[in-house]
Amino acid sequence: MIRVRATFEKCGRARYISHLDLNRCMLRIFRRSRLPIWYTEGFNPHPYYSFALALSLGFESCCEILDFNLNEDIPFDEIKDRLNAVMPEGMRIISVAEQKQKITAITEAEYSFSLLSSDADRLYDDINALLALPEILMEKKTKKGIKTVDIKPSIKIMSCEKSGDSVNMSIRLPAGTQTNFNPTLFTDALKNMSGVDFEVPIIRRTGIFCENNEIFS
Amino acid sequence: MLKDLIEKHLLEVQKPSRYIGGEVGSIVKDRSRIDVRFAFCFPDTYDIGMSHLGMKILYSLTNERENYWCERCFAPGEDFEAVMRENNIPLYALESLDPIRDFDFIGFTMQYELSYTNVLNMLDLAGIPVFACERTQELTQIVIAGGPCVCNPEPLADFFDLFVLGEGEEVNLELMDLYHELKKQGASRDDFLRRASQIEGVYVPKFYNYKYKEDGTIERIDVSDGAPEIIRKRIIRDFDKVYYPENFVVPFTEIVQDRVSVEVLRGCIRGCRFCQAGFIYRPFREKHTETICKEVKALCENTGYDEVSLASLSTSDHSEIDPMLTQLLDYTVSERINLSLPSLRVDNFSESLLEKIKKVRKSGLTFAAEGGTQRLRDVINKNVSEEEIMNTCRIAFEGGYSSVKLYFMMGLPTETDEDIVGIAELANRIIDLYYSIENRPKGRGVQISISCATFVPKPFTPFQFEPQDTREMIEHKQKLLLDSVKTKKIKVSYHNPDVSLLEVILAKGDRRLCKVIYTAWKKGCKFDSWDEYFHFDRWLKAFEECGIDTSFYANRRFDYDEILPWDHFDYLVTKEFLIRENKTAHQSKTTPNCRLRCSGCGVNKKVGRECF
Repeated sequence: MIRVRATFEKCGRARYISHLDLNRCMLRIFRRSRLPIWYTEGFNPHPYYSFALALSLGFESCCEILDFNLNEDIPFDEIKDRLNAVMPEGMRIISVAEQKQKITAITEAEYSFSLLSSDADRLYDDINALLALPEILMEKKTKKGIKTVDIKPSIKIMSCEKSGDSVNMSIRLPAGTQTNFNPTLFTDALKNMSGVDFEVPIIRRTGIFCENNEIFS
Repeated sequence: MLKDLIEKHLLEVQKPSRYIGGEVGSIVKDRSRIDVRFAFCFPDTYDIGMSHLGMKILYSLTNERENYWCERCFAPGEDFEAVMRENNIPLYALESLDPIRDFDFIGFTMQYELSYTNVLNMLDLAGIPVFACERTQELTQIVIAGGPCVCNPEPLADFFDLFVLGEGEEVNLELMDLYHELKKQGASRDDFLRRASQIEGVYVPKFYNYKYKEDGTIERIDVSDGAPEIIRKRIIRDFDKVYYPENFVVPFTEIVQDRVSVEVLRGCIRGCRFCQAGFIYRPFREKHTETICKEVKALCENTGYDEVSLASLSTSDHSEIDPMLTQLLDYTVSERINLSLPSLRVDNFSESLLEKIKKVRKSGLTFAAEGGTQRLRDVINKNVSEEEIMNTCRIAFEGGYSSVKLYFMMGLPTETDEDIVGIAELANRIIDLYYSIENRPKGRGVQISISCATFVPKPFTPFQFEPQDTREMIEHKQKLLLDSVKTKKIKVSYHNPDVSLLEVILAKGDRRLCKVIYTAWKKGCKFDSWDEYFHFDRWLKAFEECGIDTSFYANRRFDYDEILPWDHFDYLVTKEFLIRENKTAHQSKTTPNCRLRCSGCGVNKKVGRECF
């Protein structure tokens, strides 16, 4: 048996596949590829595979992580090609490799998006004003109910640039088995605070990281 | 582009993947190389429509032709409909995301009467006039329908340009070929309809003019434009060789029948007198075991589904059922595929068959007993004896089952209180049987679920002449059944009688109902088959405004010699046979199944060959 980690892209129409549906979709991809996927043992054997992080419905990503086991040793390139041959539109395996780090090593994820507005100048100023606040309290749904959290200390602004009618941003937020912050917490905070109307057409996850800024792999 | 507008709002609605296409197996072509475009519309939501086998067959079949393109289209959910209306998004097809109003054919499959209002709503959303007479003379936007409900299409006659009777695998392409040819010649819509009416199985309602008697029944039907007096349904003669898709569109979101489905036989030998499918899909035809296995394997490999179901009206009536299951199970077990077998009959449920099913599933057992007493089961020709029911339950209980689901109908012809009480008594005897079995499942009680539907007499059945019970009669019977059940081991559920009333009117109605359907839709009726959207008050208002007496259609016995709204259709089964069967029913006599003895329904004579 070999343990494999695939990195894949989920773009275009595939961004409307919910996480639950993605699970079912992946099972059928494996079956169509006829790769010898390893089944769990026990009373109800099922093919074993798991996604490192769930992706919100509507988000795009170029760095989704899928772990699975195969019963036979098959070259990584062949695994990639066989999966890509049967993937739905918008989904593509970028690379297949061994599993280096544990899923629990994930600490944050990076997201890129554009904020479109007729008044991008003011929006840009509002973003900076928002980030200058001592705290940004937002309501967050958790398994235990709605909780108020201060997202301020967790937001890492990687880039923030004005360009015509839009402000292009890239931010990092906590992700992983412990805490997950959705970038919409940030955009919603901005909506609450700013008087400027804006739209966020597509949010894209661009990276998954561990401690010390290391790219998860 | 429409795609951008759709995507802008898609995340505002439930299950957006239903509205954007892009599924594995969906067929996208270059529109500039297409001669005829066909929008295959299912008048209900994606989750339901995508489960429909007929669509899968005709979709793949049409798309085999390089220059024809068949796409899918469904009724949007309430939330997305609001978004569409607010943002002027016309109803579009899922492959190209192009508006269906620009298509050559807009074809609906009519599977159940309660989807009729959805057709009007979808046409309206598409920006196509709902009334056929208001459409342009230009040759485009031909709105057609097929499916079981069109065996009496009169309540829909004003909304469609033409109907396709019977099986569509051949006639759909013939229609598209004719269209293609006439389009090149610059012909008009009427030119096309006149020529189309000459194709066997095609019914163009506007060439048929109804005259009514003073008592409301039909006096005569005047035929114009050279259209045939009698329209015969189409059938596939060599069913084993009929086209079957090697691939299905695999949806992202979960649908009702989320699995590979392979049709093993068409038609039914049983002749249950209430069952429309049992008559309108005749003659009985089977696929060979090899064909079935080949189709199962191809579909599993291409779709990636890990579940297969065999589709038919009665799978255990297949003459090769045992070798077929053995061969299928060899494949499915080795590939870790689940095989499910709906439509099993009680009377030929053998021990070896049960052993085979047990290998693949351990869910509940469901039996359609339909009637509570032997007398009533004889009336409806459900040739199942109590002994057989008990025997099957015994095998099931000994095999480890402890719950049984029983289907019944209420309001059947000749039914008395005794028959209703008989339902509860039958259930009680099954409970007694359970506790009399030594090796029954240990430590578990038995659970009997009784599900009671209201009988709806349907066209082309021996009961087409029968009235439906009135609401009062049904309510009395429902109460009687509840009072007769005295143990918690029996659970009873039944249908809303208002739904069944609407169903019978739409099933047996004539052309005068078109305006009722239109009025009800205008009042906001849609998704009538969904409990939460069913507004009977609005329907009653619509009937009242249109001056239609519901009891004329629902609670009146139709005379044998009365001209019925569907009498100009030839579904191969003769009216004489249906009358004979109706009379036999009233004598509580049964008719043997077609394999045992031919009862002379007329199909073999018309097809020109023996059924077996």
